Amino acid sequence: MEVLQIEGLAKTFGTGHLEVRALADIDLTVSTNELVALLGPSGSGKTTLLLCISLILEPTAGKIVFDGQTIFQQGWAGVDMRRVRREKIGFVFQSHNLIPFLTAKQNVLFPLSLIGQEREAAERRAMELLDYMEIADRADFLPAVLSGGEQQRVAIARALANNAKLILADEPTAALDTQRGMRVMALLKKIARENQSAVIVVTHDVRMIEGFDHVVHLKDGRLDPSQA
Amino acid sequence: MDLAVHDLKQHRGRFIATVFGVGLLFTIVLAMNGLYRGNIQEGLALIKATNPDLWVVERNRGGPFNEQSTLPEQYRYSVQTTPGVEQASSFIYYSVERRIGGQSRHFSIIGYDAPNGLGGPRSILAGRGISHAHYEMVAHPKLGVRLGEQVALGLHTYTVVGLTKEAISPDGEPLVYLSLPDAQEVLFQRDNEEIRAGRERLLRDLTARGVSASQAERLLEPLQPDTHTINAVLVRLRPGADRATVARSIEKWLYLSAFSTDDEVELMLKGRLASMTKQLLLFRTLLLVISVVILALVVYTFTMEKIRSIAVMKLIGAPNRVIVRLVMEQSLLLTVSAFAFGVVVIQNTYALFPRTILPLPADHLMTFAIAITGGILASVLGLWQALTTEPAMALGGG
Repeated sequence: MEVLQIEGLAKTFGTGHLEVRALADIDLTVSTNELVALLGPSGSGKTTLLLCISLILEPTAGKIVFDGQTIFQQGWAGVDMRRVRREKIGFVFQSHNLIPFLTAKQNVLFPLSLIGQEREAAERRAMELLDYMEIADRADFLPAVLSGGEQQRVAIARALANNAKLILADEPTAALDTQRGMRVMALLKKIARENQSAVIVVTHDVRMIEGFDHVVHLKDGRLDPSQA
Repeated sequence: MDLAVHDLKQHRGRFIATVFGVGLLFTIVLAMNGLYRGNIQEGLALIKATNPDLWVVERNRGGPFNEQSTLPEQYRYSVQTTPGVEQASSFIYYSVERRIGGQSRHFSIIGYDAPNGLGGPRSILAGRGISHAHYEMVAHPKLGVRLGEQVALGLHTYTVVGLTKEAISPDGEPLVYLSLPDAQEVLFQRDNEEIRAGRERLLRDLTARGVSASQAERLLEPLQPDTHTINAVLVRLRPGADRATVARSIEKWLYLSAFSTDDEVELMLKGRLASMTKQLLLFRTLLLVISVVILALVVYTFTMEKIRSIAVMKLIGAPNRVIVRLVMEQSLLLTVSAFAFGVVVIQNTYALFPRTILPLPADHLMTFAIAITGGILASVLGLWQALTTEPAMALGGG
């Protein structure tokens, strides 16, 4: 089942002689259980594309269909973007970005509280996820006392909390050593295989994309056909 | 999930320090509220305790407390004969500083037609009222005198025959009640050397104007300053007499001014007490503004430290109300905690202040309402910053 469909997506910044074309003619389809890597050098438009998929940045042209619902077509389609994000998208960041004043468990509970899940069920789900990420024993610790790898596993557990249709991971291994990075990638692959989710990983590290279903190369804001 | 509380738990030290600092500012605001109330209470206590039907004072003067009023003592008899007047009593009031018990004491003296005239102490805490024409006094315990103690005032010694607590002057000083002649003597009594020098000056002045020495000697006595002056005549009306009519009659025929007790209260509130009221209002306003500015800075700093977390919250779909609640709740928690601390401090210390502090629940509530409004205003800057934060910041920029 298709989770994300992007057709002819374009994004320009500025106007006239100051106009910068950040993305052009992007077509991308991602289905459930698929693991997709977005590769490209700095300035290739990876982050811009991620922001558009995250429904944060409004594209200039094109079409975005998310989980069967048209989100963008010549403008936002009157959808509550924050609601879509909290109910259907999970985020994993480069620098973990856990909320520092919440414990590991509370960080996982937070998105569940946003979708109004009942407290007991939410607690159970949070502990299941932390257990799935093999970090249940650190549930009551604040992020500051967790290692980088542990923080990233908590962040992944948080991204999974809302049973997201799509997990977006922005350079999830950038702050980790190779061994820990490989372990995080293995977890993301496991998620794509075992959950009803699609995973898009933005990375510049080609060593990490082994076993991915699709690798999308971006160059100067366009898909690079030579790397397809 | 209560994000504000979780965050404050992580910043416990700063939270407590802020509550302590702002709480002390609130303490001062509440102390000034109490000082204002105490000032009004003290300023009006004597007027309300005396409470005659009419205060008759010098023409066009707002005396005897709000403004100096001096009139010859014999006016009492003229007032007494005014239709509708049942009783008229002389009244004198002034402040002095004398040594009592080896210490210099500032206090006020009231002289009245003891024992049955108007203007004397209404309730006696211990002992009795003045029953003799001379050398007896009733005093406030704050003066540091005991029942039966002998107190030297000027040339004479007075026995403390009674203690009364209602006796506080409009300046918050303890009062001493004396009979009218005693009070006049204490007020006008001059040093013997000064009397002798004054007489010589007068003799020289008279002889220089061509008055013979023997005539000048004879004129000395009638030309001495009159000490039979008072500040007011207090009036009790006959049953059924109309206060306004009697007042008008006194003003028309005796060329004096007559005020009801309510008028006297009004004169004090609009006169002598008004400047203090304005002063305290200004201080209270400034302190409240300072408190709100400090709260705003603290809330802003708290918010800025969380700005990346706020971006993450927005990115993962937190609605604005979650962000607003986080910032607003912290501001309100700080405000409420600081205010509660201020209330606890003032309630436990107000008796230690040298002037009367009268903390009233209604004033606390009013200040609390202003403080809460200030707390909400204080969060505006932090809220604006939080609500304009781009969720893209969580992804490392747009």
